[in-house]
Parts: sequence; C-alpha cells; structure tokens
Amino acid sequence: MTPEQELAYIAAAQADPQRFAPLYEHYFATIFRFIHRRAGDRDLTADLAQQTFLKALLALPRYEPRGLPFRAWLYRIALNEVRMHWRKRKEVVMDLAWAEVRPLSEEFGLEQQEAEMRLLANGLGRLNNAQARIVELRFFDGLSFAEVGQVLGIAEDAAKMRTHRALAVMRAYLVQRA
Amino acid sequence: MNTRYRISPQGRGVLNERQIDAHRDPKRLLFNYHRAVARPKRPLYKDPRSFIALLIIVLLAILITEVVEKEREPGPQALPQQNGRE
Repeated sequence: MTPEQELAYIAAAQADPQRFAPLYEHYFATIFRFIHRRAGDRDLTADLAQQTFLKALLALPRYEPRGLPFRAWLYRIALNEVRMHWRKRKEVVMDLAWAEVRPLSEEFGLEQQEAEMRLLANGLGRLNNAQARIVELRFFDGLSFAEVGQVLGIAEDAAKMRTHRALAVMRAYLVQRA
Repeated sequence: MNTRYRISPQGRGVLNERQIDAHRDPKRLLFNYHRAVARPKRPLYKDPRSFIALLIIVLLAILITEVVEKEREPGPQALPQQNGRE
C-alpha cells in the first residue's frame, strides 16, 4: 500500500466506516503481532486487536495525517489497550525469541547464546517503564524514531535522546557484568 | 506495571499468517462499531450533567405537584366562614 493509497483509504473510511476494510485487512497482522508480543495469549491478543480496531474506527473522523504512517497511530491505540488490560498487574512477563532481540543484541555486540541472552534480559530489566517502552518499540517492533515519537506522544528528537539514554543504562550494566 | 523479560530461542513462537487470519473478523468489527455508535456513550445516570438536569426536572415536578395540590385544598379561612353560616 503506497502512502497515497493509504491516504485515500483513510479519507474514504472517514466518510463511510464501511470502507475501513482495506485498512483493517492491511494492518491486522501487524497489530496482531504487536499485541501478541506484549499479551502472549492468542485469544487475549485477538480481543485486544478487535478493541484496537474498534477504537481506531470510532476515532477515525478525528484522525489527521501528519506525514507519519497510519500504523504508528494504530500502534498507539494498541499500546494503550495493552496498558489498560494490564493496569492492575504489578509485573508482566514478556517472552522474546532470539530472533526478535537480534537488533538489540547486535547493538551491544552480544552473541545469541544462552548466557548472553540472559544478560540482555537482565539488562532490559534495569530500565524504567518509559525506557523499556522505547526500547521495545524501537528494537522489537522496528519502529523509526518518528514513529516511536508518535506512539508515545513525544517529538522525534526526544524519542532519539531517550533511546540513547536507555541504551546507556543497559550498556553500563552490561559493561559492569562483562 | 513492570516488565520482566525472558529471552529463549523460540520465545512465544512466531505466529504464521494462517494463525493470525483465524482471528481476522471485519464483520464483527463493523457490528461492534454500529452497536457502539447506536447507543449513548454514557448512561444518563452516569453523566454528571445529565444527572443534575434529570434531578432538577424531578424536583420541579414534585414542587409543581405540591403547589397544585395545595391550591386545590380548601384554605383554612374558608372553613370557619362555612361553620359561621351554619
């Protein structure tokens, strides 16, 4: 889907919600995987994904394209849904595959081995909530800084700076442990 | 809410397109959308403004009923006059 096509689909869906289908079809798998990474359970993910698209459809008349991909807006709604679901939980476990953390492990020059991956998991555990969200969006979901900014409601530069700070926290921990 | 990370070779397992497609349901989405749009977002009694407006209407109705009933009742001065004639 080209950006022009996407804009046309958005405009059509804003005028008539029945025409939301192409956007739903295009982004469903992306949003499903995004939520599944955080929710774990497949049925729960399906419910949260449905809720995400429902909220998106309800809010679509107020959506204004600002040159950023539509998916970042959907990620923002999805992240909010996940947060709302887990709001009463003190701790949530995020199960990640080696393949998913590769971009982050490469950032620190870690090899995909049991011990190094455990170290990486502990390093992630050192981050505060805000830093953890940024690292997840940037390295596990593969979002650009502009998209990370849009999802978290901050400027692109702020997203960049916060990512570097989060990485510095992790690097300090990893160097200390090495 | 804190997040604890577990990194393993497989993680939770990568979902394939077929597994995701099983949950794809645009009809249900539109059904839920029309249901959400059709009903008021908040019940009347949970909306503070509507609740106060409703309360004022009810109080006014009670007040008007009281006043109308009082006017219908014979006044205290009318009774002695009637007694005096007898």
